[in-house]
Amino acid sequence: MSSEPGLVLGPRHKERYPQPLTFLKCSTCGTENSRPFKEEDYIFKTVDSEKCPKCGGTNSRIVNIYVPEKKEPK
Amino acid sequence: MAEYLEAMLNPATGGDNLLSFLLSLIWIGFLMIFFLYPSLGQRMQLSYMLRDLERKLQKLRMIKDEIGNVAVDTVKRVGRPESDPSKELERLSEFFMIQPESMDPYGLVYKLEHILETGETTYEKEVAAIAPHATETQLKTLTNLVEILRGINTLYRVVRHYYLLGKKTSNIYMVLQIQMILPQLLEIAESYRQAAVAFSKGQPIGDGVGVLVAAKLADGAEKTRYEIAKDTIVQELELENRKVYVVRAAGPGGTVGRPGEAVKLLVEKLPQNPKLIITIDAALKLEGEESGKIAEGVGVAIGGPGVDKYKIEELARTRNIPLYAFVVFESITEAITPMRESIAKAADQVLSRVKKLILDKVEGGEVAVVAGIGNTVGVGG
Repeated sequence: MSSEPGLVLGPRHKERYPQPLTFLKCSTCGTENSRPFKEEDYIFKTVDSEKCPKCGGTNSRIVNIYVPEKKEPK
Repeated sequence: MAEYLEAMLNPATGGDNLLSFLLSLIWIGFLMIFFLYPSLGQRMQLSYMLRDLERKLQKLRMIKDEIGNVAVDTVKRVGRPESDPSKELERLSEFFMIQPESMDPYGLVYKLEHILETGETTYEKEVAAIAPHATETQLKTLTNLVEILRGINTLYRVVRHYYLLGKKTSNIYMVLQIQMILPQLLEIAESYRQAAVAFSKGQPIGDGVGVLVAAKLADGAEKTRYEIAKDTIVQELELENRKVYVVRAAGPGGTVGRPGEAVKLLVEKLPQNPKLIITIDAALKLEGEESGKIAEGVGVAIGGPGVDKYKIEELARTRNIPLYAFVVFESITEAITPMRESIAKAADQVLSRVKKLILDKVEGGEVAVVAGIGNTVGVGG
């Protein structure tokens, strides 16, 4: 495009995307654990292919998906 | 020659006066230039501003191209089209909707609604055509992604228009105006960039907090559910002998549904008027305010073009139903990017406040309507 401005060197834009965590609640023992978000995860989805790290139960439910706040260094 | 110069610069031989004279001459020269060509300073300033604009416009183009690549990759991955979707996506990014004529405001809301619905349906069909293997849920989220591409494309074209027009006409005031608002526009563009990735993966976004509250309210207590308007469901439940109708967009695909039409149809078919209508939505915070802050008030908490808000207001006025609203404050970036912890945690607090409001204001055996507003991407239930 001739109307486009020429390439000017400027500050590089951030290559940062927020990475959400998926929080799963085990249907057997009620333990809540988290892992990085996977595609096709959604809140209130029933997952039966992941083992609970506490009781080994394979049935859990996604109860939340969010990007955790960064903890301020003390 | 050297002796002559030395004499000129030596105060003892009157050189001081000559040097002063030469310096004065230079200053007078400068003054004459600015006197005879008064717009020189302005031209220098304009050139500096245009360079700054050019750099920012370049950044905007990079963001636009990046979103375009995300859209193409997602359509290829999810929709598995037979041919390259780039050209079709470029065409869709130029899609427009013409606002209805407002010289005669009678029936304007319904004209606007008709145009928006036509646009939405057409857009969904176009996206379905370029992504033939996408599921219905994926298709809705994909439509949102293409809308982001359309948004950034429009933003880029408008900024480029003012840049080129300002450059062509050397109009410093035009350039100044676009330069002044460009930092905010770049922030919006950066939000679009992050939003494109969120939609390509189907992650819940900050705007979905209202829907999330509604889904949590119905979770585990739902007695029945049905679709009442396009992409919008009603979930019926009982809360300590009060009948509660929860209206929200059906997830987990990215859609806002038609909450206005849904509440209207629902209330019209109910045997008794609801005691109150509660709307829950995300609201833009002011700078310096905390994200996830909750506020409570009266009215209809629905953003957008105003059609849904109008319908609920009109319904509530004719039937004298009190309108209560809860909002969760967040920035424009937080609204369209993956949900932050503070916003997700606010959903639980809003949920308990909504329950308390229903128990306080609605007697046993009476009815309440709760509408969760927002984009339901990544929120099922």
